[in-house]
Amino acid sequence: MNRRFFEELEQIYPSERILTRDVELLPYESDALTAFQTKPGAVVLPLSTDEIIATVRLCHEMGVPFMARGSGTSLSGGSLPIPDGLVIALNRLNRIKRIDPQQGIAVVEPGVVNLHISEAVRQYGLYYAPDPSSQSVCTIGGNIAFNSGGAHCLKYGMTSNHVLAMKVVLADGAVTQFGSDSLEGVGIGPDLVGLFVGSEGLFGIALEITLRLMPLPETYRTVMAAYDDLERAGNAVSMVVASGLLPGAMEIMDRLAIKAVQQAVAAGYPDDAEALLIVELEGDALQVEAEFAALQGLIRESGAFDIRVADTEEERQRIWKGRKSAFSAVGRLSPDYIVQDGVVPRSRLGEALQQIAALKEKHGLQVANVFHAGDGNLHPLILYDGRQPGALEKAEALAGEILALCISLGGSITGEHGVGMEKRDYMPAMFSEQEMDIMQALRLAIDPKEIANRGKMFPDGEAPALKLTGMHPLEKQGVISRE
Amino acid sequence: MNSSRLASIKDIQAFVRNSPKIHIIGSGSKTGLHGPVKDSAVADMTNLRGIVKYLPEEYTLTVRAGTPVREIQAELQKNGQYLPFDPIDPAQATIGGAVASNLSGSRRFRYGGPRDFILGAHVVDGLGRAFGVGSQVVKNAAGFDLSKFLVGSLGRYALMTEMTFKVFPDAPTFSGLRLEYRSLSDLLTALYFINQNAHELDALDFEPQERGWSLLARLTGFEETLPRRLARFVETLKIHTDLLDAVELGADETVWQALNKLSLAAQAAYLVKVVLSPKQIPSFDAMIPAVRRRYSAGGSAAWVATDDIEQLDAVLKQQSLSGLCIRGDVESSLVGKTIDNVLADRVKQVFDPQNKFV
Repeated sequence: MNRRFFEELEQIYPSERILTRDVELLPYESDALTAFQTKPGAVVLPLSTDEIIATVRLCHEMGVPFMARGSGTSLSGGSLPIPDGLVIALNRLNRIKRIDPQQGIAVVEPGVVNLHISEAVRQYGLYYAPDPSSQSVCTIGGNIAFNSGGAHCLKYGMTSNHVLAMKVVLADGAVTQFGSDSLEGVGIGPDLVGLFVGSEGLFGIALEITLRLMPLPETYRTVMAAYDDLERAGNAVSMVVASGLLPGAMEIMDRLAIKAVQQAVAAGYPDDAEALLIVELEGDALQVEAEFAALQGLIRESGAFDIRVADTEEERQRIWKGRKSAFSAVGRLSPDYIVQDGVVPRSRLGEALQQIAALKEKHGLQVANVFHAGDGNLHPLILYDGRQPGALEKAEALAGEILALCISLGGSITGEHGVGMEKRDYMPAMFSEQEMDIMQALRLAIDPKEIANRGKMFPDGEAPALKLTGMHPLEKQGVISRE
Repeated sequence: MNSSRLASIKDIQAFVRNSPKIHIIGSGSKTGLHGPVKDSAVADMTNLRGIVKYLPEEYTLTVRAGTPVREIQAELQKNGQYLPFDPIDPAQATIGGAVASNLSGSRRFRYGGPRDFILGAHVVDGLGRAFGVGSQVVKNAAGFDLSKFLVGSLGRYALMTEMTFKVFPDAPTFSGLRLEYRSLSDLLTALYFINQNAHELDALDFEPQERGWSLLARLTGFEETLPRRLARFVETLKIHTDLLDAVELGADETVWQALNKLSLAAQAAYLVKVVLSPKQIPSFDAMIPAVRRRYSAGGSAAWVATDDIEQLDAVLKQQSLSGLCIRGDVESSLVGKTIDNVLADRVKQVFDPQNKFV
């Protein structure tokens, strides 16, 4: 960033919306991958899509790297700034521009907070389905960049499955739009929405997004079952799947996670369980009641020693409160932790968990397991103390072995957090050299100067300095939790 | 026309490298998509067939591109599962064609189209490179999601050889309902009401009748609760909409099979799929009153059977809508508003810089 760049920037923004002083930059130096911190060159606060477009065009012309930032809740370091690059902070573009309840759509700006959409459309009996744990603070722009998921993605899919249309500015300044108000989205021609969602900010910035809304389920039925070993809980999931039921969510927690939750929020979980399974059905009341009877039968057969059914919405919320606070609860057991989100085929969950147990013994580290069992999406939390020299590196070595394990079992290095900065070195283990080359060629075709979110997804990117220790400030306040 | 039945990846790579212009074809059931066969080498995919891997407990299925859809459906059915995006014309279509053309039947309404169920693919691109995109597990966020890009790509970017899908358990039984409304306007009011209420319909199509309009709904579920759910649904519509009559169709699959065969096609020279939203229907529909048409998936697509493709093209352009001609003798399958896009062009530069795929 040179003087001319700043002069040009001042043509776009009044000085109070260009942040350059250390104290102003501090909140933008890290995201929810708390081990890393980087200082950007400047932060701009656009109020309009025209300002974003002008900024991207300027960055392209002058070769200045930029990263578009929402609330900075990325767990993969996807929203870490680029050293001396520009942060385009989108929080002020937070308008819901149109709600069309009759067609079940909402048109929003990228800085709109995920949960605010559901709150705005509840009066019409609708909601926005993808529910990342950080949904009370994370923004749609970030959800789009990382194709965010949540506990309820088994049945209705991830962010990508809920985006119908977008207007975007590509990294070289070209502005384009694709998709429609139709449920078909793009419908004719290649599915550009599907390509853009999950591109981790490397293709450009989403300026305006049309989302699909769904009718609020008429009812939820939730059951919690305790097991004396993890494998039995895993088998129960297989039984549910084999029965033909399609639950909205199936979650498992292991002993350490249960213990942490009980200490933190007293969710009423059985203290002596080795594993806890939560299964939730949702939808049409008559249908769900029939399904729930079948589900309870299966759970009884599965060898659970304690089964609790949520009879009221309050009881249901209590069960979920425990699950959703599991990460911050584990955070109380240790000064630091790394969370992974590798995926394994569901039927190999038991095998994966056994091997993770062996790995943690080998490395002498504690690991708590919380996972979306319905889709094989693990979330091992590796506990370490960042104040001890070499502790982070040791935890990262274990994390790396867990990712290698996921790949060897036929899965993926990430189910919903994205590659970001954190897992970029593991991409070549999942994709061949040719596949990596082709993805890189595609990136260059869209961003010839590699300025958009440089250093993410591809190995050999710029490395931000290791620095931070402890929980994210928002996490300490209980505003966000990692899932 | 020079057609080659390709049966291995190596054959396909050699074919791509040696052919200046390539047009990909499955069973050829969607005649409207195959105008370019005249001037290109034809890659016939029907020999590249078979289920590679089906893991019912994982909800995943990997198949070769030339596999007939009905073969896949029969295999899934043995385990009570199905392809929720409901490929059209399963008796003739190949799965590769279903994905490349992004054509879904009525049951798409419940859970989405091919884009919502494709997890990964193997392709050969215009440079003859064979590689994979996406993954084989139900959840993956690593790398660019190029498998979704291939949905609707009409074979113009890369040749799909194999694809992996998420599949779902199908409900034990279903029942259909025909709901009669006086006018399109009354019907759309009912549709808007349904959109805001959790009836969890599996399919929702509508079409004009000699008098009035009929809405065709399908509910799935358990035998013991389905009658009560149907009754409740009809009761709700009686209260909140101007419903004239409701006829129960029961678990008669032939009704839905007939829709999925696109029987409209037999009645005209061309069959066109139009992508639209319910609120675009009134003005579009008013311009084609004499044409056979049906609206599918809750009014998110229209199937239009016409003898005058030029007139339809003009109407679509006027309404700023795009269509895909899937049956009929046309040079280009794309009608109405053009769909060119700079982002798609960038992918083309990488996948097919010599513009071989047409």
